[in-house]
Amino acid sequence: MRKLECPICGGFMEIPDDAVSGELFEHDECGAQLELEIDENGNYRLKEAEEISEDWGQ
Amino acid sequence: MKIGVAYDFVRWEERAIIDAIKKLGHDVVPLQVSKKVFWLTEPNGYSGLDFIIQRCVSFYRALSSTAIFEEQGIQVVNNFNVIRDCEDKLYTTLKLAKNNIPVPRTGVSFSRDGCLDIAEKLGYPLVVKPIYGSWGRMVSRALDRDSLLEIIEFREYMQSPYLKVHYVQEYIDKPSRDIRAFYFWGEVPAAIYRVSNSWKTNTALGGVAVEAELNNELIEIVKKTGYIMGGGVLGIDILESRDGRYFVSEVNAVPEFRNTVRVTGKDLARKMIELTIKNIKK
Repeated sequence: MRKLECPICGGFMEIPDDAVSGELFEHDECGAQLELEIDENGNYRLKEAEEISEDWGQ
Repeated sequence: MKIGVAYDFVRWEERAIIDAIKKLGHDVVPLQVSKKVFWLTEPNGYSGLDFIIQRCVSFYRALSSTAIFEEQGIQVVNNFNVIRDCEDKLYTTLKLAKNNIPVPRTGVSFSRDGCLDIAEKLGYPLVVKPIYGSWGRMVSRALDRDSLLEIIEFREYMQSPYLKVHYVQEYIDKPSRDIRAFYFWGEVPAAIYRVSNSWKTNTALGGVAVEAELNNELIEIVKKTGYIMGGGVLGIDILESRDGRYFVSEVNAVPEFRNTVRVTGKDLARKMIELTIKNIKK
């Protein structure tokens, strides 16, 4: 597990080791919908998940 | 096998698919489409993949990336034509009606007066849907002539050109539920009722999933619909009228299945991968 900071509340949350870039998580403490971002250098961070767009669904 | 999973976000479904591929002993290659650069004029380095499961939640990302993968020689499930045809409700209804699949009576007009003409034939209430879109978004019910005119007025002031294509459909008075059935390569592995007090039963809008046992008539409708649409892996939405008739309302080419797994206990991700491996063209 990897501990990452929530960009909304500043708290921490644990992310499984096999999580992939773009994986969505809900932070239990603040309820924020977060997206894991892994950059080309292998750095991990959580960011606020994208808002729903008009062409999303199914 | 080496199986790609194309996605923009990893929701519960994509995580289940990735895990199922691994558990079945195959290599999985996650492809976050939304973060990649794709060359149209040169190979993008995916030729080692046996096939790709398309799971983008955004229709345009799904369609565009599928076009690139396919034209560069990699099979995608579902394929470009299936994704395009299922997204367009006008085309889906047209294709199903032409092939004698029961669908609600539906007309299309590009004008306010045309909508009133359709309404005169269908009667009220009726349903006005965007030809693209999901989760019940902007699906409206016109209870009478005044509310139909209000809906059309809203649509005509909106920017999106596709909202000027007015898809007007008979309202099916259903028994507080509709059916979401899954079609995987000719099989019907699971189905749920989506129960709601609202006339819109989408689980995204609070509809509650309950396992459904389909009768032979429904299974045949699902199989025939899947075959006609050319899939693959599909979620097929069916309305039932209070007098026991069935109508296919929509077909989804990147179906969500979390709630179905939760209430049926069926491992749909594993089934999806097993049947795709069995049926994909070698």
